[in-house]
Amino acid sequence: MTVIQEFVQVRKTEEVVTKKRSQAHEVWRRLKKNRLAIAGMLILILLLFIAVFADVIAPYPYAKQNYDEVLQPPNLKHLAGTDEFGRDILSRIIYGSRISLQIGFISLTVGALVGCILGSIAGFFGGVIDNVIMRFMDILHSIPRVILAIAIAASLGAGITSALIAVAVGSIPNFARVVRAATMTVRDQDFVEAARAIGASTSRIIVKHILPNILAPIIVQATLGVGTSILLAASLSFLGLGIQPPVPEWGAMLSSSRTYMRDNPYMVIAPGIAIMLTVLALNLFGDGLRDALDPKLKK
Amino acid sequence: MTNDNLVTYEKNKNQPLLEVTNLKKYFRTPRGMLHAVDDVSFEVNQGETLGVVGESGCGKTTLGRVIIRLLDATAGNIYYRGENITNSTDKRTHELRRDMQIIFQDPYSSLNPRMTVGESISEPLIIHKVFSKKVDIDKRIEELMDTVGLASRFVNSYPHELDGGRRQRIGIARTLALEPDFIVCDEPVSALDVSIQAQILNLMQDLQDEKNFTYIFITHNLAVVKHISDQILVMYLGVVVEKSTSDNLFKNPLHPYTRALLSAIPEPTLKKTRNRQLLRGEISSPIEPKPGCRFAVRCEYAKERCFIENPVYEEMLPGHYVACHQTKEIQQIR
Amino acid sequence: MNKEETQNVIEVKNLTIHYITDDGIVHAVNDISFTLNQGETLGIAGETGAGKTTTALGMMGLVPDPPGKVINGEILFKGKDLLKLSDREMRKHRGKDISMIFQDPMTALNPVLTVGDQIAEVIQLHEKISQVDSNLKAAEMLEVVGIPRERMGEYPHQFSGGMKQRVVIAIALACNPSVIIADEPTTALDVTIQAQVLELMSQLQARLKTGMIMISHDLGILAESCDRIAIMYAGKIVEIGSLDEIFENTKHPYTLGLFGSLPDLNSKVDRLKPIYGLMPDPVSLPSGCSFHPRCQSRMEICDQMQPTDYEVTPDHWVKCFLYQEGRK
Repeated sequence: MTVIQEFVQVRKTEEVVTKKRSQAHEVWRRLKKNRLAIAGMLILILLLFIAVFADVIAPYPYAKQNYDEVLQPPNLKHLAGTDEFGRDILSRIIYGSRISLQIGFISLTVGALVGCILGSIAGFFGGVIDNVIMRFMDILHSIPRVILAIAIAASLGAGITSALIAVAVGSIPNFARVVRAATMTVRDQDFVEAARAIGASTSRIIVKHILPNILAPIIVQATLGVGTSILLAASLSFLGLGIQPPVPEWGAMLSSSRTYMRDNPYMVIAPGIAIMLTVLALNLFGDGLRDALDPKLKK
Repeated sequence: MTNDNLVTYEKNKNQPLLEVTNLKKYFRTPRGMLHAVDDVSFEVNQGETLGVVGESGCGKTTLGRVIIRLLDATAGNIYYRGENITNSTDKRTHELRRDMQIIFQDPYSSLNPRMTVGESISEPLIIHKVFSKKVDIDKRIEELMDTVGLASRFVNSYPHELDGGRRQRIGIARTLALEPDFIVCDEPVSALDVSIQAQILNLMQDLQDEKNFTYIFITHNLAVVKHISDQILVMYLGVVVEKSTSDNLFKNPLHPYTRALLSAIPEPTLKKTRNRQLLRGEISSPIEPKPGCRFAVRCEYAKERCFIENPVYEEMLPGHYVACHQTKEIQQIR
Repeated sequence: MNKEETQNVIEVKNLTIHYITDDGIVHAVNDISFTLNQGETLGIAGETGAGKTTTALGMMGLVPDPPGKVINGEILFKGKDLLKLSDREMRKHRGKDISMIFQDPMTALNPVLTVGDQIAEVIQLHEKISQVDSNLKAAEMLEVVGIPRERMGEYPHQFSGGMKQRVVIAIALACNPSVIIADEPTTALDVTIQAQVLELMSQLQARLKTGMIMISHDLGILAESCDRIAIMYAGKIVEIGSLDEIFENTKHPYTLGLFGSLPDLNSKVDRLKPIYGLMPDPVSLPSGCSFHPRCQSRMEICDQMQPTDYEVTPDHWVKCFLYQEGRK
């Protein structure tokens, strides 16, 4: 068999090539350099930790009422003070992280999944299918998200499930749009045509060739979307929809402390800071991730 | 080749491997019908290389895609080993992929950036379920990489870690995976540096010698096409204006466009005088072309007839086809 | 002949430009020197990564900083060192004394300005004449490059690739510069259009007596338009000489390899003779002569020391130990 012998010189880069330098590795390397993004990431990890180990960390159960210690400002016994029922605010914040993160991530995952499926179908097939799907998305998108969420939560009744659905639905159009655009870009690339030329089926092309290459915008949209979802859930419970007391959701805590705001400002500050920090961390991390995922291919 | 094909082939050894008759491919655009490929006919024998040259907009890329059924023909026929595959069913097209393949131009966009070298090369094998055991697949990957001159240590590398020449070799290895007989090469070396071009061209020729491949080699580079082709098709605005053997086309170009094209090539030699035939104007639009010769507007030999009547594509000299009203007159002038 | 008239218009001395990146220092241009006389055309040949475009950018003062840095060297324009000028001072020269024609005409023109405006803009920037007069001059320039002046008010997207490149040429020549740097001006164009554009450029150059530096990887184009040619490899000029010398008396193994890789229109060869291996990584260049790993005529000294310029015939210089004085 004829073999072209390549006369290859020994170079530093050639040694590196032998290691499996995956894309994830490259992304992580770039992300590490962005200090703000890492800060955001650490806060998120902390939050996750708190949410998982809430039972262990929280000094008091979140529903335990104690009429002897009502409306106490922050002190040694209750580091963030107590609310109108004597419940420890810090513990409620800690347990609240579970709820907020749950809603944020789960609703986002649901919204993302539906959005991605619809967007990739629309982007890949184009034509009538594209038109129909995207017009539905336009309708959904034209309703202000808060109003949409309120409408859904109100009609589905109380509870965390209805809050989840209400928040999820509003995020679908954004994902569909982003995924559709990314799919259309990738769809026209040569390697997709090459996949057809070797006989790949449509489903194989979408799953193996298109999806892995549009992960970047999806991840970014998702990361930034979690923050919005959390805020939206907080708004819902602020209005009395979705999460019901005594479940300690940060937005609900904000809402109920309105009455006591003037004399007991700490009641507003604690949940407010919790929400702000979470969303900030998500945004910093999301921005950093987007920059790191930018396909800066080496030339 | 499957067994069926082998049997059919043995029966019809004298027929060309590929025959195309009156092939048309039109695209509908808001401004009208775009005649990308307009009534093209030719044949290619096994083991031959047919070069297709022309500038942008001539339809050569579309022609390549239609032949291997990545696009559906608008009209006309494509015969592969005597079988009419113009409107082959999806199932049949899928089977044909094992015989007819394509090498793409841009080594930077023709590989999935998320797949390793090994994964890209083995994908055809997986899709067509060629092997059942992973160990067989891995062995084949190694063989293919060796054939195209890629060091085996790159099997887990990603395309972005390698240069253009190596990426093109990956593309070629992928094309060879199913052991096709017929390969459309769409500008396979245009995006590469000169020294790498030479390496890849040699590789393609070696492979052809060894495995008796049949190539359709699409390019705009005349020096490359002369080097690698047996026969050459010259296209202009979707129409074949001239066809001949490689040597003959360059020694005795008959069509005015071919002559202008040849004279336009900058040659890396010192010529004291250059007989440049500069074409007037620019290429006209392929959308709803008017009747008559499409080249007439730019042609220095054009007469009234050329603007009204479509020239007939016919054999002017043995094995030398031209589509031009003025061929005889031009020959006399020269 | 007046001595000043044959003076070098451009003299580049020991130019070194590096890019400082996360992955290391890219040695794009390493200690190159060359001259350009008035009205002369110098070709710079080389493959991707040889450093040709960086050299052009360096001469225009357009090397992006960061990550690029001019480490060393002088670029003398009529005796004045351009590297010592502030950006403000350099801007006065750009477009007026030295112009550049970029590779891709599709992106070199501003899509929201008419072609007339874009030509007039460069005239307005450098000459103290009224708007009306600039427009008149712009219309003239358009005619000079073969585009009817009625098309002055049209936008770039209304022109084909070849015509866009003509507009780019018009902009470059509008103020009658002493030097034009053309970086692969016809690579993106079809062969027949390329012929038209090259013909235009050579006519204009002859008429206006402009000096030109023509950068291309296509030796055919250079053979037609240049008086002298420099061959670049890994940031260095490995061979430089007159057109005749480079083509008929090629000396450097890389240059010979380049000629050998080209399919020849006039002869039939069975196999091309490629140069094996790849361009070196500009971040970690080989020791000694950068070409030695791929060189068929490699000697022991080649990986230990870097060759300097040796003059093989008058004004034909080669960076190769094969031609060291005393060697035969």
